[in-house]
Amino acid sequence: MNELSETLPQGAAPGRLARLARLWRLFARNRAALFGLAILAGVVALAAIAPVLYPESPFSLAGRPMSPPFGDWLFGTDTLGRDVMAGIAHGARTSLMIGLVATLVAVVFGTTMGALAGYYGGWIDDLLMRITEVFQTIPSFVFAILLVAIMSPSIQSIVIAIAVVSWPALARLVRGEFLSLRNREFVQANVLMGMPDWKIILVQILPNALSPIIVAGSLMVATAILIESGLSFLGLGDPNVMSWGFQVGAGRTVLRRAWWICTFPGFAILLTVLAINLVGEGLNDALNPRLREGKA
Amino acid sequence: MGRHSRILAALGLSLGLVAAHPAPGALAQTRGGTLVMVTVPEPPTLASYLSTSGPIGQVVAKVYEGLIDVGPGFEIKPSLAESWSMSDDGLSITFKLRQGVTWHDGKPFTSADVQYGIMNVLREVHPRGGATLKVVESVETPDDHTAVLKLSEPAPYLMVSLNGYESPITAKHLFEGTDPRNNPTANAPIGTGPFKFVEWQKGQYVRLDRNDDYWQEGKPYLDRVVVRFIADASTRTAAIESGEVHYGAFGSIPNIDVPRLADMPEIEVTTKGYEYVAPMMQLQFNTTKAPFDNALVRKAIATAVDRQFVIDNVWFGFGKPATGPIHSAFEPTGLYTTEGVTDFINVDDRIAKANAMLDEAGLARGADGIRFSMIHDLTPYGEEWRRFGEYVKQVLAELGIAAELRYEDVPTWLKRVYTDYDYEMSSNWLYGLPDPVLGVHRQYHSNQIRPGTVFVNGTKWSSPETDALMDAARIENDPAKRAEIYHEFQRKVVDATPIIFMHELEFTTVHNTKVKNAVMGPLGVYHSFADVWLEE
Repeated sequence: MNELSETLPQGAAPGRLARLARLWRLFARNRAALFGLAILAGVVALAAIAPVLYPESPFSLAGRPMSPPFGDWLFGTDTLGRDVMAGIAHGARTSLMIGLVATLVAVVFGTTMGALAGYYGGWIDDLLMRITEVFQTIPSFVFAILLVAIMSPSIQSIVIAIAVVSWPALARLVRGEFLSLRNREFVQANVLMGMPDWKIILVQILPNALSPIIVAGSLMVATAILIESGLSFLGLGDPNVMSWGFQVGAGRTVLRRAWWICTFPGFAILLTVLAINLVGEGLNDALNPRLREGKA
Repeated sequence: MGRHSRILAALGLSLGLVAAHPAPGALAQTRGGTLVMVTVPEPPTLASYLSTSGPIGQVVAKVYEGLIDVGPGFEIKPSLAESWSMSDDGLSITFKLRQGVTWHDGKPFTSADVQYGIMNVLREVHPRGGATLKVVESVETPDDHTAVLKLSEPAPYLMVSLNGYESPITAKHLFEGTDPRNNPTANAPIGTGPFKFVEWQKGQYVRLDRNDDYWQEGKPYLDRVVVRFIADASTRTAAIESGEVHYGAFGSIPNIDVPRLADMPEIEVTTKGYEYVAPMMQLQFNTTKAPFDNALVRKAIATAVDRQFVIDNVWFGFGKPATGPIHSAFEPTGLYTTEGVTDFINVDDRIAKANAMLDEAGLARGADGIRFSMIHDLTPYGEEWRRFGEYVKQVLAELGIAAELRYEDVPTWLKRVYTDYDYEMSSNWLYGLPDPVLGVHRQYHSNQIRPGTVFVNGTKWSSPETDALMDAARIENDPAKRAEIYHEFQRKVVDATPIIFMHELEFTTVHNTKVKNAVMGPLGVYHSFADVWLEE
């Protein structure tokens, strides 16, 4: 059966390294994606060195409240005298962490649901898709607010809320992929050979459905960061954790007097979300060659 | 949009009518005009005998009146009662009622209304009436214009609470034989006040017109009061800026906009008119939980927090550092003192002193510099309380106390603090109300540890001495002796610090300079507006 799976239509390039190199070339053709990747790398670096740059808690009262930017503090201080830049650095950790963890949870759950529905079809498909639709009919941000309000704001509850509102779209996507791959010859052959279902799903179909999942997942990270920022902005963030949305929310009342408090964290959100979207676009180009050719 | 233009048209029409029929003679300069005020949020009902909810009082205090009125410095002034006298034992108060007063439906006002209103309405259904009027055993009516309140014990706090906001007198002929909770006048009040209720367009405005038969000669000066409901804060600011609205109280104009408005020549801002509610911001401990069962630990934290910093940076400068359980608004009555009360406001080296106190309490720092960990619950009323919690957390960190913040919804938080006592330290704010018996005792008396009842003694702290002081003050009619008791009470409570008194919250009233007599004493916007007039 190994021979069979290796004659898949996709595997043209020999060796893993060569394939990665080809993907990189395709990705790098998209200048915007490279730009996005550079920004994202910067944000990741900032998050990584935040504890070194600002060893104190980002909530610590660093100096005179509402000091303007580019003086003693790069981006000024907020209404309580907290360093805005320290908040941005530590907030990067929060945003990336929440974005990644929530997406991971949503991807694992959504993929499982979609895979089962697409592979088995019939009443399992009906049942799982009706459940998915129930979740899809509720506006996702409102639903996330509700969930966090019920569970009390904390990092865990925010991750759970974001995952809960994010998985249905992925489940539908994966189901579609599985539905079409399910009837391909190589899958049929595996069934004939008596390969157990779980193995067919995990080893045979899933790797072939991976590209759209990766693309959708990367864009989901951006959405997750936006949802987290929105929740924090509304005061539903974890009160013990610094985040960009929290900074914007805390500074918006004094926008006329101290524009810098919410402006810089706002830019951080904008740039990060933009970067992730650009990278996602680039991944799409690299992983879905058909689409790319269609565009060209 | 269409709705708004209709209101505007109505207002324009009314102004036009005023112009067409100028008020006669000498009063021409001060009589007339429509005052537009804004109230947030829209009141759920207009039944001030049933709820103390602020917006209700702001509207209905113009329609209903009480036996007395509260003037500047908590002076008790005549209203429906022309005069009164108290028996020597303090157990009966005889009110001489004003003659010739009529209800807005034309029926005469008599002592029977006072009797029914106090005994069958306020004592039964008013949220505070059950407690305030508990001492009133009966109301006797020897004639139509005399009402005698018979008390079970002397009650020095009773007179002030008989004002029109706290104890509105309702008409017997409209309430008799009905359940006061379901009276048809709940949304269309009929009172004796300077303004008659005309209509309530839900979501838009309440219109009150001048009561031409009002008992005060020549008053009210205004022809009409329109109370508008505007949900969006910045729209309210814009409305007062443009002169479309004349008056807004109780934070209806956001604090952040107030300094800018105050600079405008046609707008005036005052923090007066809230002495009656005397709101106070506090940090309270669960004094049964270690280490907060130790007064030294509580006082260490009280020493460490910088009240002025919090006022300036969290509350935009609207507040005054608090010194103890009694609000400084009581200064004119003599009840308030700072003499011999531990001073937490003027302290140098706060953090060092507080750290020394914690060392003394035997709470040594661990290897990581932390003495102990705790959870600080935040008052779930919005942004400022969160900022305040964030500030407290940083101060605690400097004392080697690792605090985690917890922010829950209001019912969960209330249950945590007042039912389960499952907290260590929480921010909170309470009204001091016009007498300590009404607003202060509830937080300190041992008989006020009532699981499930909110805004009572949630710290579980009490002492036999302070209980005795409060019991004595409750029935002491001699103002000087009573003041002495409360001075001792303030010293004792601050010495134990079950609650850290942070600051006296200041609300603002923002009004157009055309509005004269805008704030007439401690009741502020809860006043009847009989004296308010508009300059042409």
